[in-house]
Amino acid sequence: MTHTATRIRSVGPQEVRARLGLPDAMVASKKTDRLDDHFRRFIAHSPFLTMATADAEGRADCSPRGDYPGFVKVLDDRTLAVPDRPGNKIADSFGNLAENDGVGLLFLVPGMRETLRVNGRAHVTDEPDVLARMEAEGRRPVLAVVVEVAEVYFHCGRALIRSRLWDPASRALADEMPSVGEVFTEQYGLDVPPEVIERKLEDGYRKLY
Amino acid sequence: MTPPTATPATAPTTAPTQATVVDRIDRVAGDVVAVTLRGTEGPLATWEPGAHIDLRLPNWLTRQYSLCGDPADRDTYRVAVRHDRLSRGGSEYVHRFLRPGRPLPVSLPRNHFPLLPAPRYLFVAGGIGITPVLPMLRAAVRAGVPAGLLYVGPSPDVMPFAAELCAEYGTVVRVVATRQEGRPDLGALAAGLDEDTLVYCCGPAPLLAAAAGAFPARRLYTERFRPSARTFGPDTAFEVVCRGSGRTVPVAADESMLDALTHAGHPLPAGCREGVCGSCELAVARGEIEHRDDIGAPAGRMYPCVSRARSPRLVVDL
Repeated sequence: MTHTATRIRSVGPQEVRARLGLPDAMVASKKTDRLDDHFRRFIAHSPFLTMATADAEGRADCSPRGDYPGFVKVLDDRTLAVPDRPGNKIADSFGNLAENDGVGLLFLVPGMRETLRVNGRAHVTDEPDVLARMEAEGRRPVLAVVVEVAEVYFHCGRALIRSRLWDPASRALADEMPSVGEVFTEQYGLDVPPEVIERKLEDGYRKLY
Repeated sequence: MTPPTATPATAPTTAPTQATVVDRIDRVAGDVVAVTLRGTEGPLATWEPGAHIDLRLPNWLTRQYSLCGDPADRDTYRVAVRHDRLSRGGSEYVHRFLRPGRPLPVSLPRNHFPLLPAPRYLFVAGGIGITPVLPMLRAAVRAGVPAGLLYVGPSPDVMPFAAELCAEYGTVVRVVATRQEGRPDLGALAAGLDEDTLVYCCGPAPLLAAAAGAFPARRLYTERFRPSARTFGPDTAFEVVCRGSGRTVPVAADESMLDALTHAGHPLPAGCREGVCGSCELAVARGEIEHRDDIGAPAGRMYPCVSRARSPRLVVDL
């Protein structure tokens, strides 16, 4: 059986370029490898990012990271560090980074349409001086991801404008979603009331650090 | 989808704040800036030398700084902030990102280091520990009480206000730069001191330890940046009954009472989380408190960032 995706026509890079046209010079030249004061200020006010990694075969993964604004520490103008807070312990990112050190980060600042993009190479650290700077609620993370910056740039705000991401009215979309308890009981065929799952989840959410 | 109820401890609290705007930021030593905050809703709350305020920084962190301006000035507060190279985000934010013109809510002043009346004073300050001592010295000199200041630091260029102090108070001030002169002999200083002198010391732990070894405890008052090293019995679980909301919040053995309350929807201001700043002060109506702070909580009060319960439950004003 073939997956639907493989039956859908694939367009090669030259053809993609032909359809899109060329980026204008300013956009092409805005990428740099230095974290200047503007990039640092964005990172210092960002409470959320996504981290993309891939394994040796190119199997990709993207995971959310969030904390108080500035939870990502800029160590110098080529280096930053992302703390690892308690999560689902699946650690796909760490597994991938062990095989393939490429990493892509996308930082958000609530209310801001432009996003910050950082691409580079990463490794996992337990360096005490790095972890000491990442204490939150009195707890120090056990590990952190250190990123050596290869490319950093501001990404234009069109995607966030079109998505109305920061429009308070957009929050009504969440009302159309079933509760996570309902989703899990159906997806896993569980014979427990959804409220039990939700309560368990909420209990877990009390431990954020 | 269920609305989220889990709240991180950086959530906003309902503790009273004063609205200020950053008036100016001046570099006063190599890695120290003085921040002047102007009240925007009438006169700022009064304070006495030794008091500190919490700054509620835009990155959701709350940090404590001693007031080092003039208590008679009701329009502005002044604090001085050293850039900690291992900053967890507070001093780095003040140094790199805070700008004049930005609004900055601050707490009411609190004073765990009050200047008690005395016939004479000796002030001993180490580095940024000079900040609470500045208004103390000024008050003593203004009142005509004999006072001396020993100001210790690595070298004058990294010691905020050293030049101004010498210019204003002359021989009252003795600056010791330890890189050239080594550490001052506090024992010799203590030996030559009048019996009725009160000693006020603020600075890093080694200086406080030296002061504790040199001066009699009943005449020595100190303020710490970091908690003293002490050991406590094992952490146990207990319950907190909130009188106001009627809720009972369990505190697990591996979490602080502050975090348990905050996650349960009773956010408290949280500053140092080490029992030295007092921002999370809470009134306790019933139950036995196990105090673990370095402030010395007043009767019926506790600092839930570090302190716990000896009884199975505490009843608190929340």
